Amino acid sequence: MSYRISIDTGGTFTDAVVADASGILAIGKALTDPQRNFAGVQAAIADAAGHLGLDLRTLLAATDVFIYGTTRATNAIVTQRTARTAMLLTEGFPDILVYRQGGKLNAHQLNVDYPEPYVPRHLTFEIPERIDAEGNVVLALDEARVRTVLQAVAAENVEAVAVCLLWSIANPAHERRVGELVAELLPGVPCTLSHELNPVLREYPRASSTAIDASLKPLMQEQLRLLERNLAESGYTGDILVSASVGGVMHVEDMIERPIYLVKSGPAMAPIAGLSYASLESAGTNVVVVDTGGTTFDVSLVRDGQVSHTRETWLGEIYTGHLLGMGSVDIRSIGAGGGSIAWLDAGGLLRVGPQSAGARPGPACYGAGGQEPTVTDAAVMLGYLNPAHFLGGKMPLDVEAARRVIEPLAARLGKSNADTALAIVTVANENMIKAIQEITVKEGFNPADSILVAGGGAAGLNILPIARSLGMRQVLIPRTAGALSACGAHFSDIVREVSASRYATTGDFDFAAVNDVIAALDARLDAFAATLARRGLTDVTRSLAVEARYAGQIWELEVPLRGRRFDTADEVAALVDDFHAEHERVFAVRDPDNPIECIHWRARLSANLPRGAQAPDTRRRSSPLAARATRTAYFGLLQAEACAAQIHYGEDLRPGDRVSGPAIIEEPTTTLVIYPGATAVVTAYGHYLCELA
Amino acid sequence: MTSPPSFDPVLLAVLSNRMDAIVREMTNTLLRAARSAVIAMSRDFSCCLVTGDGRLLATAEAAPVHVFGTHLQAQAMTELHPDLKEGDAFLHNDPYLGNTHPADHTILVPVFCDGVHLFTAVAKAHQADIGNSIPTTYHAAARDIYEEGALIFPCVRVQQDFQNVDDIIRMCRRRIRVPDQWYGDYLAAIGAARIGERRLKALADQVGVDALRDFVTAWFDYSERRIVQEIRRLPAGRLENTTCHDPIPGVVPDGIPLKVVLEIDPVNAMIDIDLRDNPDCLPCGLNESMACAINNTMTGVFNCLDPDIPHNAGTFRRIRVHLRENCVVGIPRFPASCSVATTNVGDRLVNATQSAFAGIGDGWGLAEGNTALTSGCAVVSGRDARHGERDFINQMFLMGGGGPASPVSDGWINLLIPVGAGLLYRDSVELDEQKYPLLVKSLKLMPDSGGAGRFRGAPGTEVVYGPRKRPIRVVSAPDGWRTPPRGVRGGLNGTLSADHVLQADGVETKVEGFINVELQPGEFIRGRDCGGGGYGDPLEREPARVLHDVRERWVSRQQAETVYGVMFHQPASGTLEVDEPATQAARLRLAEARG
Repeated sequence: MSYRISIDTGGTFTDAVVADASGILAIGKALTDPQRNFAGVQAAIADAAGHLGLDLRTLLAATDVFIYGTTRATNAIVTQRTARTAMLLTEGFPDILVYRQGGKLNAHQLNVDYPEPYVPRHLTFEIPERIDAEGNVVLALDEARVRTVLQAVAAENVEAVAVCLLWSIANPAHERRVGELVAELLPGVPCTLSHELNPVLREYPRASSTAIDASLKPLMQEQLRLLERNLAESGYTGDILVSASVGGVMHVEDMIERPIYLVKSGPAMAPIAGLSYASLESAGTNVVVVDTGGTTFDVSLVRDGQVSHTRETWLGEIYTGHLLGMGSVDIRSIGAGGGSIAWLDAGGLLRVGPQSAGARPGPACYGAGGQEPTVTDAAVMLGYLNPAHFLGGKMPLDVEAARRVIEPLAARLGKSNADTALAIVTVANENMIKAIQEITVKEGFNPADSILVAGGGAAGLNILPIARSLGMRQVLIPRTAGALSACGAHFSDIVREVSASRYATTGDFDFAAVNDVIAALDARLDAFAATLARRGLTDVTRSLAVEARYAGQIWELEVPLRGRRFDTADEVAALVDDFHAEHERVFAVRDPDNPIECIHWRARLSANLPRGAQAPDTRRRSSPLAARATRTAYFGLLQAEACAAQIHYGEDLRPGDRVSGPAIIEEPTTTLVIYPGATAVVTAYGHYLCELA
Repeated sequence: MTSPPSFDPVLLAVLSNRMDAIVREMTNTLLRAARSAVIAMSRDFSCCLVTGDGRLLATAEAAPVHVFGTHLQAQAMTELHPDLKEGDAFLHNDPYLGNTHPADHTILVPVFCDGVHLFTAVAKAHQADIGNSIPTTYHAAARDIYEEGALIFPCVRVQQDFQNVDDIIRMCRRRIRVPDQWYGDYLAAIGAARIGERRLKALADQVGVDALRDFVTAWFDYSERRIVQEIRRLPAGRLENTTCHDPIPGVVPDGIPLKVVLEIDPVNAMIDIDLRDNPDCLPCGLNESMACAINNTMTGVFNCLDPDIPHNAGTFRRIRVHLRENCVVGIPRFPASCSVATTNVGDRLVNATQSAFAGIGDGWGLAEGNTALTSGCAVVSGRDARHGERDFINQMFLMGGGGPASPVSDGWINLLIPVGAGLLYRDSVELDEQKYPLLVKSLKLMPDSGGAGRFRGAPGTEVVYGPRKRPIRVVSAPDGWRTPPRGVRGGLNGTLSADHVLQADGVETKVEGFINVELQPGEFIRGRDCGGGGYGDPLEREPARVLHDVRERWVSRQQAETVYGVMFHQPASGTLEVDEPATQAARLRLAEARG
């Protein structure tokens, strides 16, 4: 028996999903331990193993693929807890990270402070050198002065160094030499060179990605190496893969080299899961995917069957945050979740989040000392969560503690406890509605035209009223919703992208040079494919594309190539035709007399991880469906109305069953609250398809 | 002012966002498909949607200077062309007929839904060249439109049945420098407007023409309600402010005095702006077009109101701008030149209007921002020896431009100029150097250049660049070299702008008001733009902010001590800290010294 395990370490919970060739077998969940990462990983796997009647070591010994996802890198950036990083830039250009690319969302908003650069100016250093656009040396690297600069860098006790010199993409000699001097004078301090990480034209995106990558190295390299060691000690000998921002997975050694790909690791898998579940249920190709954890609410979008990607990922707000500078899955995150804290602002307005109780102490009802009222505490007060059956009964909830923290808030609001709890959920809903609107309505996409796939442990508490406000009629909650991102990892591919710059114009096509550059990319992918083959992964697909433009244009358009080399004028003409067609599709015009300039060549390899088709749920009902119990739960908008909600355990439900609200379905890793007026139908695959009136 | 009661508030939100999304997609099309850096990198263009009956509807993140007033152009289109039909597109750059200035080539596409002209999709882009008598799109020294020399298109049909009218294209190709670059930019603008057309037609198919009409009414009414609430919050009163555009030696030797009068009427929720008491049109390129006189004062007003208010024909019902014929900031009388209408005098109007609001009291209005388009934003032209002596021309966007301080924040670093509003993108040094034969020597923010205040103006930028193997011509008309951006309510002024030619032998020559120089290989030009003005008394600035400014090298320790009165001590091997008692003493002393 060979298993595959995926992990998603969120801010509050760590999820483990165990699958084999027939699909997903078990889900485990444990609290994230911010101090000892592996403790949470281990506990989550042990939990899943328990469902399979195995112990941790036995399961790990029988596992051959391990996929790790973590929000740690994203959180470190957002909370400014990355390494103390020095930025080395060409002399005369110290403000690249301050200026960014310009631009602003609102012309008339002049009453906000200009945002701080990713690396402060006092940790930015200038390197005496200059190379021109053609790669010629204008000013030789002054090594003696570089040494002096690096002594100043060392005196600042930096933990990482980022180097981005002008035109290092045309001639990397200076940047490489500075890298060597950093290694010599700051031994052991990790360093990222821009031309190696992200060889793109334009100094800001390149410098920004270089700074982000370097700043993540100390923390994430240590964490990944520790993970490797801990897994080995626990008896795991197979491959370790890590989910990457590009929406695929990478080998851990590659990730250690380039931890920037860890940004949005974990959440980047959620849209893949959402698309897989929606296609399984034939629910269309437009999918809004949300993932509600304890601390963050992530939204992503599948449009016409394609996961939305972006080359313009900003950490923080567009223009004022920090540009990732590389392609990634388009995920928008806000600080909202089960752990979000409710509070009254100076004006007496009820607010929820963005502060979160996190995993420790967590919501008050976890009984670990939380003193602030959270969304989860409100859900307990409202009767949505079963204190004795939370996480399948493994974590009893302290109702009294929830009441204790909500009462003072209720007193200040002059409302009953139930009304206050309802208000907390309603305000939390509004924040989430706004986040969904950002990626749909604001992009001109009507959410009512799509299905919503909801995952995350806290998703089922309030997703139905959220969907209703957005005019959505269908919500799919996978039975495995509690671990959506970790499930997505099982549907994802191993991806590797390589690229090279080589100018060629179709006006005078240099066949030999282009074929050489494609062959070189292929050779790099061959080497990668060989390492995959040694690991038994041979189901590999490759694609090749060129980023091209009309002569004189500034931005390129990606056009897939039909073949893997060019031998005839007809093949070049075909590329030209494809470019015209793509240009007209995207930009509504073509310029038929103008030659095409080919700039970057990109090759992508994806290796399918072996997986079988998801098997339908074959369990059939032998006796009529009966609720396990009824419980008083409160619903309503402003005034809580007590209802007798039917309580079902997920394990009792069979395909075809219908559960109408008010009702609550309790799954081991999530709880689904069926509001009055809504109905959940169990699908052929055992998932919950909710229909809103 | 009431919405049709049936109009669903959720649909109102969805459709208004949808309109903005269409404008964003048009914007992205023009940015990605264009060829000159001024458009494709710096985003010196804007797209918007106007209703079929000529009311500005949706602007997304468009520059106010470009789009407020676009309705005048859309109106000109319907008035001049009663035979308007699907497949048409119009080229409009006529400053006497609603356009901003001749360099802004505007493409207008009437959008027909169910046979009705329901919307006009507009893409307006500042060209790299328009065929002026000298290689610049800002001919400040032109005595009239004839000397200016641009080809003027008074809303001329440039496409019919979705095909180019080749006569017009050929005219442009004969007179505009680097015609292939112009043609690529033209195509990109056509593409942007056509994308808008496609999306609007699809939307009409989806929700129906009647629903779109009702939406337009409801949206204008909602926008009007928003600004009414905002104006009712203002105190009644009359605000008057004067300023001055700096001299251009030999062209406007005494500069141009300017006056803005604002009447705020909270009872009737109206703001009146009067520009009539200003000089007649001048024999130079600095005259405002009508569109610019309106939009730059409106911008000054909107900068002081809740920025969340939508900006469209509904909002505009509550602001009246009073202009007169033949006025430098009014309705230009042909053939007065409006070559530089979008920037220089326009920037002074924005500044004068927003700083007038500071007269209401503490907490209101803004200081003034950088007014200099230095050599860092010049139009640069010449031949590129790397590519067979190919001609090139383009406007650079390398400068920064210090933003004004507000009552609650320091100035914005990438303001550019007040009319740019921080919306434009910056050039990438690498991309400029790849595309044009230039070498940028340095580009950095200047410490101590932001006007001191309780909130500090943003620092200005210094940029130095020069030619490579062949000479280059640099043309620009920087203001702000004599009259700096002013601070308000005790805030200090920002620094002045300065442009110098740096000869190979080390001699530096200052250029004032109008730059039109040819740089030889080995020579460089250095542009320093203005720091923004400060807001409030520098002695009231939080010491923690001053400490941060010193650590981050925005402010020198000397300025911190002598202007802000913040004193420091530095533990032997530690970081700088504020010396609280010494600071209190220093601030008392500085306050007393003022008398």
